[in-house]
Amino acid sequence: MDFLENTTRNLFFTGKGGVGKTSLACASALALAEQGKRVLLVSTDPASNIDEVLETDLGDTPRPVPSVDNLHALNIDPEKAAEAYRERVVGPYRGQLPEAIVRSMEEQLSGACTVEIAAFDAFAGLLGDPRAAEGYDHLVFDTAPTGHTLRLLSLPSAWTGYIETNTSGTSCLGPLEGLSAQKGVYAGAVAALADGARTTLVLVSRPETAALEDAARSCTELRALGVGNQHLVVNGVFRASDDRDPVARALEARGQRALAAMPAALVELPRSERPLRARAPMGLAGLRVLLGTEDAPAPQPAGIATPEGETFERLVDSLERDGRGAVMTLGKGGVGKTTLAARIAVALAARGHYVHLTTTDPAAHVEAAVGGELPTGLTIGRVDPQAETERYRAHVMATAGADMDEEGRKLLEEDLRSPCTEEIAVFQAFARTVARAEDEIVVLDTAPTGHTILLLDAAQAYHRELGRQSQGVAPEVEHLLPRLRDPHYTHMLICTLPEATPVHEAAALQADLRRAGIEPAAWIANQALTPLTVTDPVLRARQAQEARYLREILAEHHSRLIIEPWSEDYS
Amino acid sequence: MTELTVFDPPQCCSTGVCGPSVDPKLSKLAADLDWLKKQGVAVTRYNLSQQPGAFVENATIKGILERRGEDALPVFLVDGEVMSQGSYPDREALAGWVGVKAQSSETESGGCCGADAEKQQGSGCC
Repeated sequence: MDFLENTTRNLFFTGKGGVGKTSLACASALALAEQGKRVLLVSTDPASNIDEVLETDLGDTPRPVPSVDNLHALNIDPEKAAEAYRERVVGPYRGQLPEAIVRSMEEQLSGACTVEIAAFDAFAGLLGDPRAAEGYDHLVFDTAPTGHTLRLLSLPSAWTGYIETNTSGTSCLGPLEGLSAQKGVYAGAVAALADGARTTLVLVSRPETAALEDAARSCTELRALGVGNQHLVVNGVFRASDDRDPVARALEARGQRALAAMPAALVELPRSERPLRARAPMGLAGLRVLLGTEDAPAPQPAGIATPEGETFERLVDSLERDGRGAVMTLGKGGVGKTTLAARIAVALAARGHYVHLTTTDPAAHVEAAVGGELPTGLTIGRVDPQAETERYRAHVMATAGADMDEEGRKLLEEDLRSPCTEEIAVFQAFARTVARAEDEIVVLDTAPTGHTILLLDAAQAYHRELGRQSQGVAPEVEHLLPRLRDPHYTHMLICTLPEATPVHEAAALQADLRRAGIEPAAWIANQALTPLTVTDPVLRARQAQEARYLREILAEHHSRLIIEPWSEDYS
Repeated sequence: MTELTVFDPPQCCSTGVCGPSVDPKLSKLAADLDWLKKQGVAVTRYNLSQQPGAFVENATIKGILERRGEDALPVFLVDGEVMSQGSYPDREALAGWVGVKAQSSETESGGCCGADAEKQQGSGCC
């Protein structure tokens, strides 16, 4: 592919879950190694399936990939990296301070930022330390740092303010404190990312509107942070080979429509396309197929024993039982959360309930998903992160900033531009929306991530401590976690596609929720070919592979599974 | 020079902007400490989850933590002597401890992640 000719030393693959970035990263690493280059492949995905794709066991130090010369791989587990970091900070005080205090310190170091920063720390070492990976011609990273982390680590004034005077007080750079020796390494990593001669960012997408929009957002955000050398790979472009198969025709048309309406930010990028293959690119042979021109022989479709799932209607039955409460669709982008939320809301309203549907999606998309006229009893709201952030800033300025002079207010305003302000603002909007479900059914696809929930959990513990002295938390925030934990109040629906990565990421999300004491109500495997009759050979092969992941959901993740067929109406 | 040392409970940031709600007590303290610095008081602030070493190395604080646990925090020391435990003093009290005349209650600082007087400190959050 284009980006592999005369490519830079560092290659970053980023994109939504399920778009194939791990496969492409592995295939590219393999291709470079087969050109005779010495290559290190690095993953920072907690539910990494590099092991699965390369059919080998990986650890947190480079290991040779069997039967491929010149290729080493390692897997950074962010949770483990965070654990190691916590231990580095807290460990020396075990036994020196009362146990309850040590636990409380650990709790404070369990937030999303700590995890993110600890993972960044692990791979910034590879990127920013000239000695760390000096034996390699290429470093191939699966999963780029998020805009949030990059912003945090590229704030030179924050570094100067904090590191050089690090006894001056507490700081939001807290999680970095134990890592302050790494300052030069971070600066090196940030510089390497911004240097187009050294780093290529490969944005991976499917030919689907939501995935392309997500790629466009990453493109713009990372470009603003100086990551300028970008390449787009549209993976899984489908061409029907059997024109008597209506599903195949509709799938091809949908992809072409999405590509024709590609966001402007992506149109300007150099682009490669990879066709949809008959089977997932597992193993070295599969990876060679991904970048090659020939498809692999299709697997035998025999012996598909599809597990029996519950129906959409039965799901709606269970959601309407109390006539109120919150229904949330959770999952990675691109699995059809918004569409599912809209369908559920419409079905509930059609049964005579008062329903409020809230989304972070532009309202136009929801109205399209609802299908024209709103049924009686259904209202639609929208959480606009920008508007919520503005509202939150104004609120803080009017309360905490009320007694301050101009200089103090300026400082507070500047601090409110921090990356976590938006997260908090959206979070509060979320809490208000969940509170509404006391009186009606509220359907949300603005699901907070598992990390946010854990952060809330830690924050609530912290506020309990301070509760005696402070004014306390807003009631909707205070009641949020108990409401989310109440199975009669909140029904969390884990949405996924019947494919490897989305299922594994959904399982990780479920584990996060369970750690916060929240039990999902059911899983929905969306856009499944399983319930359909298809004749196109590529689709037949993919249908055969779905069974494995549907079985995995039932056997390992949740006993309640709804299998929703792929449909051109719900895209 | 008089030295004021604050030993904070384990927390994410000094003003609470990072939490689910901003705690005005924390923002106010940050501003008051900044004001004290401008009056020539040497102010040092430690957070248990970020600078645990300071808590262990100070025999007084270590002893307090062993006896009373986390509830004793925050602890305020002036020249090594314990002035208060488990509560947030106002500007008048702080000024009284260090022998500075408290002026108008106008506050000056306080911000998310901002350490007391670090004006250039942009931000970044927990």
